[in-house]
Amino acid sequence: MTEQVRIVTKNIDIPGIDTFSVYTQHGGFQALRKALAMEPAAVLETVKNSGLRGRGGAGFPTGMKWSFLAKNSSKPTYLCANGDESEPGTFKDRMIMEKIPHRLVEGVLISAYATGAKQAFIYIRGELAYAARQLERAIAETYAAGYAGKNIMGSDANIDVVLHRGAGAYICGEETALMESLEGKRGYPRLKPPFPAAAGLYGGPTVINNCETLSTVPAIIENGAEWYASYGTEKSKGTRIFCLSGHVNKPGNYELPMGVTFRTLIEEFGGGVWKGRKLKAFVPGGSSTPMLGADKIDTPMDYESVASAGSMLGAAGVIVIDDATCIVDAVSRMEEFYRDESCGKCSPCREGTFWLAQLLERLAEGQGRADDVKLLSDICDNMSGKCFCPLGDAAITPVVSAIKLFREEFEYHIIHHNCPLSEHNRSAAAART
Amino acid sequence: MTQDQQAASQVTLSIDGKEVSVPKGTVVWQAAQKLGIDIPIYCYHPKMSPLGACRMCFVEIEKIPKPPQTACTTECTEGMIVHTDTNLVKKARKGTLEFLLINHPLDCPVCDKGGECDLQDFTLRYGPGASRFDLKKRHFTKPVPVSQNILLDRERCIACQRCVRFTHEVAMQPGLIMENRGYRTQVAVNPDAPFDSIFSGNTVEICPVGALTAKSYRFISRPWELRRTATVCSGCAVGCNVQANVRVDKLLRHMSRTNDAVDDGWLCDTGRWQHDEVNSLERLKQPLIRKNNTLTPVTWDEALDYTTSKLKEAAQRTPQLVGAIGSTHTTNEENFIFQKVVRECLGVRNIDHYHGVFPSSAAGAVPWVYTGAIADLDHTGSIVLLGADPYTQQMTLDLRVKKGLRNGAKITVISSEPTHLDSFAHQVLTIKRGSEAAIAKALAYTVIEEKLWRGHFAENNTSLIQSHSARYADYSPERMEAALGVSAAALRELARELAESSGAIVLYDELTTKISGNETLAADVFDLGMMIDLITRKNSGVGPLFHAANSVGARDMGVLPDTGPGYVKIDQPGFDYNAMLNGAVKLLWVMGANPAKHMEKPDMMKSLDFLVVQSLFMNETTQYAHVVLPALSYAEKIGTFTNLERRVQVLHRALNPLIGPRPDWEIIKGIASRLGVKYSYRSSSDILTEIAMNVPLYAGMSRGEIGESGKQWAFAEEKESVSAQR
Repeated sequence: MTEQVRIVTKNIDIPGIDTFSVYTQHGGFQALRKALAMEPAAVLETVKNSGLRGRGGAGFPTGMKWSFLAKNSSKPTYLCANGDESEPGTFKDRMIMEKIPHRLVEGVLISAYATGAKQAFIYIRGELAYAARQLERAIAETYAAGYAGKNIMGSDANIDVVLHRGAGAYICGEETALMESLEGKRGYPRLKPPFPAAAGLYGGPTVINNCETLSTVPAIIENGAEWYASYGTEKSKGTRIFCLSGHVNKPGNYELPMGVTFRTLIEEFGGGVWKGRKLKAFVPGGSSTPMLGADKIDTPMDYESVASAGSMLGAAGVIVIDDATCIVDAVSRMEEFYRDESCGKCSPCREGTFWLAQLLERLAEGQGRADDVKLLSDICDNMSGKCFCPLGDAAITPVVSAIKLFREEFEYHIIHHNCPLSEHNRSAAAART
Repeated sequence: MTQDQQAASQVTLSIDGKEVSVPKGTVVWQAAQKLGIDIPIYCYHPKMSPLGACRMCFVEIEKIPKPPQTACTTECTEGMIVHTDTNLVKKARKGTLEFLLINHPLDCPVCDKGGECDLQDFTLRYGPGASRFDLKKRHFTKPVPVSQNILLDRERCIACQRCVRFTHEVAMQPGLIMENRGYRTQVAVNPDAPFDSIFSGNTVEICPVGALTAKSYRFISRPWELRRTATVCSGCAVGCNVQANVRVDKLLRHMSRTNDAVDDGWLCDTGRWQHDEVNSLERLKQPLIRKNNTLTPVTWDEALDYTTSKLKEAAQRTPQLVGAIGSTHTTNEENFIFQKVVRECLGVRNIDHYHGVFPSSAAGAVPWVYTGAIADLDHTGSIVLLGADPYTQQMTLDLRVKKGLRNGAKITVISSEPTHLDSFAHQVLTIKRGSEAAIAKALAYTVIEEKLWRGHFAENNTSLIQSHSARYADYSPERMEAALGVSAAALRELARELAESSGAIVLYDELTTKISGNETLAADVFDLGMMIDLITRKNSGVGPLFHAANSVGARDMGVLPDTGPGYVKIDQPGFDYNAMLNGAVKLLWVMGANPAKHMEKPDMMKSLDFLVVQSLFMNETTQYAHVVLPALSYAEKIGTFTNLERRVQVLHRALNPLIGPRPDWEIIKGIASRLGVKYSYRSSSDILTEIAMNVPLYAGMSRGEIGESGKQWAFAEEKESVSAQR
């Protein structure tokens, strides 16, 4: 039996760990104290050596990202914690922020210290009201203890931390849209270049990291780069919090070293597919990553293995799909999400998601027309790589991967005007004809 | 910039096999433009920052991963190889067009934009022949008014954000915003700022589809029914370059011709849509003679014979009692022949027009004109508006000031009234009405006391420095603070800033000079400019902001009591405008002006024995007239105007002339011939030829030479003599 490895989620179940006193009783802020005694460059070097990669989806090496920050800008450097967790299938940052908010605050402070940012922002998804209250309190407690603000822990370091609640837009999880939103503007992604490291928030060099990434930093500082790098695989170091959801007996967050297989996650931790059904497919990293067929269940959960299986580890939101699921229906629902969350800036995403959603709805209802699958694929092709930001590509991923895996099921819907899996649909179709 | 530096800041790239060199930072679309290669765009606009939203301008660039790229956001690099017509590009553009059309109502047959619509045109050129979309389109209520003049059709909108960006970036009056997201995205009125900009019409012009339409143009015409004539707006002294759109016999609208030197591609709403002057049914069509105290229609012959006999008789008997008032709205040619006939055929010296107060040029032939160029506002370091509010008088200049502001200029507004630019200014100094000249003097004082002078003046003008010291001795900023309540420190700081800035422009309104206390304003500002070298310094200038389309031309042509054409001094000056209207003359010939409108006691007009008025309409002055001669509007004649930066620009005939009225020059020619002087002018061009030969400032000017974008008469050559004369 594999065990969870608790690094980010360490002590998360201790009652009262969301208070400053309990958090510090259990070693909280020791990493900050240790970091403040180091040179910022040494902190950065430690993070670099740990092999920590971004947990938001792209998996970019964190230390390297920090080292890209423009050195000679006339404007202040900023750090943003991306807590706009909105990807369907992910709920790890929310758990951190709700249950152990001080760890994020500590991670933010250490990271800001390492990158030379005097001002840090935690941008939190608007819907996460409880998490926001928890963080507000955690920040206030940290300030009260003298661990944030001026002369942190009696040192020369001055770092302010401000929590900003989003207004409820998926796009604001995209780093440049997040900055626009922070600046009080409409959440539209920005033109790149300039990249945030050169000119980001308010035009200053900006480092922006996912909450989980930043919450991992304290442990790395406390225990050293080598200790952290000893977890995981050669290229995918450390642990990740896998968000297991969907048709599974025990959904939830599981922190595991990278390289553990999906089978282990789904069968050992998740208690297997629910209702005694079989696995039809699974989404490995949140709805924006291509779904994989049941045959890929033994793929190790690390960046490289998932990539070679034809998908991405993304934000590690593993969605289990059982064999009673109409894939057209499932994809239709996902596309509805992208249609509603497209920011509307660029034409292909704005119009394409609208069109895809309608087409999929028609298909799922058994009203599809002969060339609809071909049309779906071509719409996706016209969006692929042609949208302004990566969200356009994300929006076509469920469609493209589902057609690749289950083309016959799509075609069945067209030929038979109903779903091969649903009695209900069959009778509904009969009633229509 | 040396040639080497220039070469270093250039990059050479190849587009479709053709090489082109462009400055660093140029986007691929611009480089392709230079080569004449068409890349379709919707969201991009050369006058606004790139957005990259419409995804229409796809090109393929070798060695850049993930093709295709957007040409409007990709900066050119050395050795870049661009292809605009690969299969990948074609498919991508086709895809974008199909996307844009799925929710478009395809109501071209009833859309005002149809025929000049980029969505229509690009679909024909690059789009799919048919749509594969067979589902439900999104619907909006339509049209909805977004301002008094503009209606929005959200179904036609392709969300390119040009209009929104115009209001935010260019006009800096954020009246429009994007609302909602995804397929519900729509343009909407900013709930915090009404869309009441005087520049709102530009959004209609730059809208690439029929989403924004002008109330005044809706369902009035189809683009292919329009006759389009390149001409110049007559609304104000900026002289924006316009394309007059005429349907049958009505001027429907002006569109921009984008002369970067003058208008930067923008028009104000008044210039764009207000054409009553041309179109009104109230236009005079027949000459009128007062008979039994009623203005009665007569033939041209009768009117001209009668007028000439009156003029001739009076001019022969008492030329000192005859006066002539010229116009800031008629052409250079008309003002030239007007003063020529008045002076040479009638032997009358009393001639003037309505203008600001400028020190008598008898003291030195200083042309009181803005010494810089309009485009200097773009890149200057400091702009001072001294009793001037371009937003109300020289509208598109307001956008220039804002452009300068965006490029880093410091704006200082010094005014007795709130102005539109107050909220944009770095500094607003509120002063008492009539103390503008005192402020200029205080700045001049500071320059002398702190020895801030520079350039030509500093080098060899010790005597001038002495005389200036004396002239401005009583105007220390500290005294001004006591007298006017303006911070002395602010004035001193401003003087230093103007002296040291990379470029500085000081502008005052022409009519601010007429306020009591400001009699010397023009000279004071000029002195200030001389001392700190604002005349020759780059991106600098000083001078008045004139009001009317040909204010400068009227001066250039010598419609002044003390100077002839080209500011040639006249030995015995005649009566000026005010004197003539206050009883100095008994017979008055008015061309294209309405003096009664400006008079405190217009009844003074009743004391005239004879008043002849050339006019488009009945107005305050014609009601006192004995003869009214109907004239043609700027849109119906050809000629030239000179704008506030001394740019001579060509008016083309946009409209078939109304039957009955005549161009002013022809009326004047008719009077001259009855006076026994037969001019051989067949057109106003012939008069321009004579101007070019006789007025040094206009030497060599012809309609061909002036061209489509106008020609500035030199100040640089003048300034040596100017400084010598002063």
